[in-house]
Amino acid sequence: MSLVDLSSDAFIAAFFLYCFAFLFYVIAIAGKKWSNRDPFQHEKRWGRIAFITSSLGLAAHLTFFFTRWAGSGQIPTSNMYEFMTFLGMAIMIAFTIIYAIYRKALLGMFSLPLTVIIVAYASVFPQEVQPLIPALNSIWLKVHVTTAALGEAFFAVGFAAGLMYLLRVVDFNSETKEARRSRFWVEFSLYTIIIIIGFLVAVFGFRAAGYEAQFSQEMSTVDAKGIESSKVETVDYTLPPIVKPYNSEVVHADSFLGMTDTKLEAPSWMNGVNAGRKLNTVIWSIIAGTILYGLLRLVFRKPLGAVIHPVMEGVDPDDLDEISYRAIAIGFPIFTLGALIFAMIWANIAWGRFWGWDPKEVWALISWLYYSAYLHFRLSRGWQGLRSSWLAVIGFVVILFTLVGVNLVIAGLHSYAGTN
Amino acid sequence: MLSIHNTKCECGHQNAVGTVLCESCGKPLMEDQQQNEPLEMRYDGIARRSQKKNQNLIDRIWSFFSSVKIAIYLIVLTFLGATLGTIYPQENTFINNFDIAAYYESTYGTPGKIYQMLGLSHTYESWWFITLLVMIGTSLVICSLDRILPLYRALSKQQIRKHLQFINRQKTVYSAKVDEPAEAWVEQFAAQLKRKRYRVHMDGSALLAEKNRFSRWGPYINHIGLILFLLSILARSLPGWQMDSYITIADGATVPIEGTNYYVKNEKFTVDFYTDDELPPELKGQARAKLYETAAVLYTCSSGCEAGETPVLEEVARHDIIVNSPLKYKGLKLYQFDFDLTPKLISVKPMLINKETGEQYGPFELTMKDAALNYELGPYKMRLIANYMDFAVGENGEPTTLGREPNAPAFVFLITGPGLPEAGQPYMYFPMQKDKEKFGQDQINGALASKVEIKVDGMQNVNFSEASTSLNVRVDKALNFVWVGAAISMIGLLMGSYWQHRRIWLRIDDGQLSLGAHTNKNWYGMRADVAGALQKIGVTVDPKSLDNGGNNA
Amino acid sequence: MKSSRKIMQIVILTAVLIIGGYAIGTTLFASGESGGVPKVGGTPPEFKLVDLQGNVHQLSDYKGKAIVVNFWGTFCPPCVKEMPEFERQFAKWQNDGLEILAINLSEDTLTVNNFVHQFELNYPILRDVDRKTERKYGLRSYPTTFFVKPDGTIMDITVGGMTEEYIDERIAKLLTY
Repeated sequence: MSLVDLSSDAFIAAFFLYCFAFLFYVIAIAGKKWSNRDPFQHEKRWGRIAFITSSLGLAAHLTFFFTRWAGSGQIPTSNMYEFMTFLGMAIMIAFTIIYAIYRKALLGMFSLPLTVIIVAYASVFPQEVQPLIPALNSIWLKVHVTTAALGEAFFAVGFAAGLMYLLRVVDFNSETKEARRSRFWVEFSLYTIIIIIGFLVAVFGFRAAGYEAQFSQEMSTVDAKGIESSKVETVDYTLPPIVKPYNSEVVHADSFLGMTDTKLEAPSWMNGVNAGRKLNTVIWSIIAGTILYGLLRLVFRKPLGAVIHPVMEGVDPDDLDEISYRAIAIGFPIFTLGALIFAMIWANIAWGRFWGWDPKEVWALISWLYYSAYLHFRLSRGWQGLRSSWLAVIGFVVILFTLVGVNLVIAGLHSYAGTN
Repeated sequence: MLSIHNTKCECGHQNAVGTVLCESCGKPLMEDQQQNEPLEMRYDGIARRSQKKNQNLIDRIWSFFSSVKIAIYLIVLTFLGATLGTIYPQENTFINNFDIAAYYESTYGTPGKIYQMLGLSHTYESWWFITLLVMIGTSLVICSLDRILPLYRALSKQQIRKHLQFINRQKTVYSAKVDEPAEAWVEQFAAQLKRKRYRVHMDGSALLAEKNRFSRWGPYINHIGLILFLLSILARSLPGWQMDSYITIADGATVPIEGTNYYVKNEKFTVDFYTDDELPPELKGQARAKLYETAAVLYTCSSGCEAGETPVLEEVARHDIIVNSPLKYKGLKLYQFDFDLTPKLISVKPMLINKETGEQYGPFELTMKDAALNYELGPYKMRLIANYMDFAVGENGEPTTLGREPNAPAFVFLITGPGLPEAGQPYMYFPMQKDKEKFGQDQINGALASKVEIKVDGMQNVNFSEASTSLNVRVDKALNFVWVGAAISMIGLLMGSYWQHRRIWLRIDDGQLSLGAHTNKNWYGMRADVAGALQKIGVTVDPKSLDNGGNNA
Repeated sequence: MKSSRKIMQIVILTAVLIIGGYAIGTTLFASGESGGVPKVGGTPPEFKLVDLQGNVHQLSDYKGKAIVVNFWGTFCPPCVKEMPEFERQFAKWQNDGLEILAINLSEDTLTVNNFVHQFELNYPILRDVDRKTERKYGLRSYPTTFFVKPDGTIMDITVGGMTEEYIDERIAKLLTY
C-alpha cells in the first residue's frame, strides 16, 4: 500500500472520528437534562470522551496530511481538495487550542460540524495528487497558504462561538420588532449553513447516481496583451443542468425527471472558470438546502433557532462572547502574517510585485480590514455581545467569500485547478 | 482657563481637561458614569491630547483625525470601496496599451461601460481610494500620537495606593475581611504574584502588581509599521523608484532594457513538461509544465549606447531565471513571465557551389536580421540587394513580404565571378527547403541556377531559435522599506495580541481587603491570575465570581 | 509645553498635507494620461530615432510645427500604398511648415532603403528598433497615423489606410491651427 493510499484511509478515519466527536459533544450538552444523572458530572465525562475522539480525529487528519506530503513529495495545499482539507484541519487545531484554554464542551458542538462540513466540501473536489505548476513551487507559497488557513480557522472558531452567543441570547419569546428581526437573521444564518449541507447532499447524491451531462461552450477571451480569441470548450456537469454555460450547446445529458436540456444560460458577466457549472451547482444547493430545511421544520415544527436555543440554557453568554473575541484576537495576527505578509513575499518572488490588486488579494485585504474594524469597534467603541457576535458571523462570510466566492464569481490568478 | 476648578482631584492632583480618572489616585472625575458600574479604564482614564476647550480650526482637524470612530469609518469605507474594484478586471491586468473603454463595453455591455466611466476600472489608483488611504494614514499618525504620550506618562508614574472607588469599580474585584495583620497578608500575596511574574510595588497595606506593560505599546508599534508601509508604497511613485516593463527575447538574442543602461541575453529558454508517469490518470496526456527556465545574461552598455550606434556590452550577471527565482542585480530584477515555442530562423551558414566544377566556397554566415551586404567567396563576389522576410508574390507579380518575422525568408544576391557577366547576375535564395520548393527557386533563377547554387549543408549550419522568452523587468527601490514596515507592524501586532497588560491593586483598610484588577484584554486570564494567587494563600474563589460585570474589552 | 504641542500639530498636519497632497495629486495627474496610450487631445510620447542618413530626430525637435507621425512597414499593403501619397502631400505642404515623420516598424536597413529608393521618398524615414516606439504608442494594427498640432497635442489618430483626399483634408485642417 502506498503512502498516498494510507493517507486516504487516514482521511476517512478522521472524517468519521469527527462525526462521532460531534455526536459526543451533542450528548455532552443535550444529555445534561436527561434524568437520573448529575448534569455537571455528565458534561465533564462526555465532554472528555468527545474531546478525546475529536483529538483522535485530528491525529488521523494530521496523519493524512503528513503521509500525503511524504507520498507525493509536495505539501498538500496546492489544489482545492487539499486546501479545504487543510482548512478543516486548521479549524480543528484552532478549536483544540481554544478548547484547551476555556474547556467548554459546547464549543465542540459548533466547531465540529463546521469541520465536518468543510472536510465533506473538500471531498467534492478531485482528490488526486496534481503535480505543481512552476508558479506554485515555492516555499513561501506553502508558508503563505498554511498560515493564512490557520488564521482563517481561528476566525471560524470565532464565528462558531459568535453564532452560539446569538442562539443563546436572542429572545425566542418576545414579540418586539427587534427580537423578531434578530430571530429572523439567526434563522437565516442557520438556513445558509443548511444550504451548504444541501450542496453536499446534491453533489454526493448525483455522484452516487452517476449523473453526467456535457456542454460545449464557445468562449471569447481577451488575454493579458489585449488580443481577443475565441475557443470552444466542453464543460462537464455532474448535476442536472438547470442553468447551462453562457453561449453553449448541449452535447449529451442524462435524463433527470425527463429533463435533458435547459433554456437558461448563465449570465455573461460571471467570469470565473466554469462559471455556468458553478452557478448550476449553487442553484442545486439552494434547492436541496431548502428541501432539507423544510424537512427539519416539519420534524421540529418550530424554527431551528428555537430548537437549539434551549440546549444553550445555562451557558454563560459572557463566556461565549469572550471566546469568540479571543479566537478572533488570536487569529488576527496569524491571518495578517499568512494572508498578507507571506502572501506579499511570495507574490514578490513569483511575479516581481508584492501587491497586484488581484481579486483574491483584494478580498484578503478586505477581510483584514473587516477584522481590524471588528477589533477597533470592540476595543474603542465598546461593541460587545450581540453586535460583536454579528460581526464575527458576518466576518466568516467574508472569509468564505474570499476563499470560495472569489473563485466562483471572479477570475484571477488564484483560481485553483479543478475547482467545482 | 475656566475648567481648572473641576479637573482638580480631591487628592490634590491637577488633571488635564478630559481626564476621566484622576491621574494620581484614580478617583472617577466624571460622575456622569453611573455609580458602582465598572469604570471606563480605556487609556487609563487619561485625557487625550486633542481634548481641550475652545478649539480652533487646527484643533478641530486634529480631533477629527484623532477619533477612533472616524478611523473605523475610514476602514469600513476603504473595504467597501475596495470591493468595487473586484467586480470586473482592473485595467492593470492588461499589459498592452489598447482602447480600454471599448474593451469594457464590448466585453461587459452597458454595466461595463458605466463601470469604466465611473473610473472603477482603476479603482485602486483612483483619487478617492488614494484619499481614503491618505486619511487612514493621517488617522494612524494622529490617533497614535494623541494617545501614546499621555498613556506613557500615566503608566510611568502610577500611584500604588488608589482611591477605594477606583479599586471597587474595576471589572475584576474581590473583597473580604482579613484577620491577619494587613502588611503580613500583603507580603504573602505579593510573593504569590511575583511567582506569576508580576512586578510588585508595595506601600504599607497597599499593593500594585503589574506585568507585561510593554504590550500596551503593541498597537502603537503596529501603527508606526503601517505608516512606514504606506509611506514606502507612496515612495514608489517617485521618479525612478519603480519600473515595470516586459521584454521578449528569442533564444540567443540580446535586447536592451528600455530606460536603463542594461542589455539582456537569452542564451536558452527551456520548458519541461511532466511525463505521463508523473501525472495522475485524468491528467495524463496533458502538457502540464514543470519548469520554465531562461538562461539569462545581464550586460551593461559601456559605450556606443545612443540610438544608431553599436553598443559595447560588459557582462555583469548571469542567472537561470525560473518562476520563483528571478535574476537580481543592483535592485534590478528579471522575472520569468511568459514564453513562445514557435521556432524562428536566426541565421544559416550556406556554401556557394560552382555547379559546373563542383567547387564549393564558404560557408558564409547569413543572418535573417540585418544581414551583411557584401560577401567574398573564392573567386565570387556577392552583394545582397534585397530581402523578404515572409516572401510572397504580390498582385502585380512583384516580390513582396507579408510580415517582418522570418517565416519564409528570401534573399536576392547580385553575384559576380567566373563565367558570370561583369555587372553581375541576381540570384534569389530561399534558406528554407520548403520555400525553395514552394516558390521554385530554380525557375526564378533560370539559367543561373545551372551555374551556381547557394546551399546549406546539414542542420548544423542552421541556427534556429527554438523559443522566445518573456521577462518582466522590475525595479522597486521602496521594497526594503515595505518589508521593514510590515515587520514592525507585525511585531507590534504580536506584542499587543499575545501579551496583555495586567494590573492588580489592593489595599486593606481596617481589616477590609479591597482588590481590583485590570487588563486590556483577556479577562479570563486576569481572573485566573487573581484566583490562582488567592488560592495559593488559602483563599478559594471561583474565578468567575470575581467578575464585576461591564465590558469585555 | 502648550506652544510646543501646537507646533507639533502644525508640523504634522503640514506633513500630512504635503505627503497626502502628493499622493492624491499623482493619481489625478496619472489618470489624465491613463496608461500612456496617446489619445486625441493628449500629447504623443517622445521618441528619439535615427533616419536612413544617420541623423537623430527627436519628436520634441519639431515643437511648434504641424506633424504627421506615420507608422509603416513594407509588409503592410495599405502602408505601401500611402507612402507615395505622403510624398505628394509633403511636396504640396512642405513650404507651409508641414513635417512628416514616417516611422518604419523595425525592419532591416536594406529593406527600408530599397523601398525608399523605389518610391523616391524625401521626408524623413525613421527607424524604430526592436519595436520600442511602436509599443510606446500602443499600436495594434498598421498603418497608424497621428496628426499632431503645432501646440503638441494630437488632433486625430487614424488606424488603417487612408485615401489621399482624406490625408489632404487632414493636413489642411492641421495647418489651420
